[in-house]
Amino acid sequence: MKVPIPAEVEAVFREFRTCEFSTLASDGTPITWPMLPFFRGSTGQFMTTTSIGLPDKAFNIRRNPRVSLLFSDPTGSGLFDPPAVLVQGDAVAPDEVKTSIGGFENEVMLVYRRQPAGTMYTSNPAMRWFSDWYFMRLEITVTPRRILFWEHGDLSTAPTVVEAIHVG
Amino acid sequence: MWAEVRRHLRGFSSPVLTGLDVDGYPFSIRCSPEPDEAQQVLRVHLPGWARIRLGPASLLCHGHNQLLWNLRSFMVRGTLEPAGSETWLFRPTRFVPGIGISGLAGMVRFAFAKRRTARRYLERRGLPRPTIDWAQLKALQARARHQSPPHPVR
Repeated sequence: MKVPIPAEVEAVFREFRTCEFSTLASDGTPITWPMLPFFRGSTGQFMTTTSIGLPDKAFNIRRNPRVSLLFSDPTGSGLFDPPAVLVQGDAVAPDEVKTSIGGFENEVMLVYRRQPAGTMYTSNPAMRWFSDWYFMRLEITVTPRRILFWEHGDLSTAPTVVEAIHVG
Repeated sequence: MWAEVRRHLRGFSSPVLTGLDVDGYPFSIRCSPEPDEAQQVLRVHLPGWARIRLGPASLLCHGHNQLLWNLRSFMVRGTLEPAGSETWLFRPTRFVPGIGISGLAGMVRFAFAKRRTARRYLERRGLPRPTIDWAQLKALQARARHQSPPHPVR
């Protein structure tokens, strides 16, 4: 379904290279790390993945699905004067280790186009042995509940808020 | 730990502060922390409309270049408490290095540690270590190389 958000917000979802992805640790501390997000306009959801070498995000989500994604660094996006956007939502992270790119070809292709130096991790047998864990992935799907955005990325002003009922 | 936070913080102008909002969801905002050496806390300005409440929090510093490389990151766990008006205190409790801030040795340690974590993940589920289809990945990389960049790089 089409998400009724401004085109410039959707452009942020599609073009920003990273977002700051937060999950909740067992003691309730929000843990935030940069992630590569993929927006699926057909469902209004976000997909991302994490390696089983970095499984805490998935463990946190299985215990508490509340997450957020902040899009606040436009570096490399090619967007001029984009808004900053915070997405709060609920995530799922099934315990299924994926090692094939089947079903993710578009996303993997996009990563290599955006991050050409990333090919170094597969460049020779030693690097492939050293980094095979990185390619054992867990899929994370985020369903937005609330979207807040700041025109011109100006976080000193109050955001525009779109509640879940309006975002699909 | 405070010295480590101070040293690494210098390389980043606007870290991401994340706390919890009234509904229990993470709420992140960029901030400009000012170190308070006496209390060993970071003073941050949070606008009145910010939905963050006092309690557990974290501070993320990260960056990359136009081609999503030269990745750098670290995170600080801590707590957040109001200090009057729109000023809050972030009290660091743990420094967590990410990537790109500890040199080559740090990167090697990071990779070996993650290999071990991955092995444990598989062992606890009785799963064999899977084989990656490198040929499939290399073919995709070749296709990506022959496509134009996603957009002009600024």
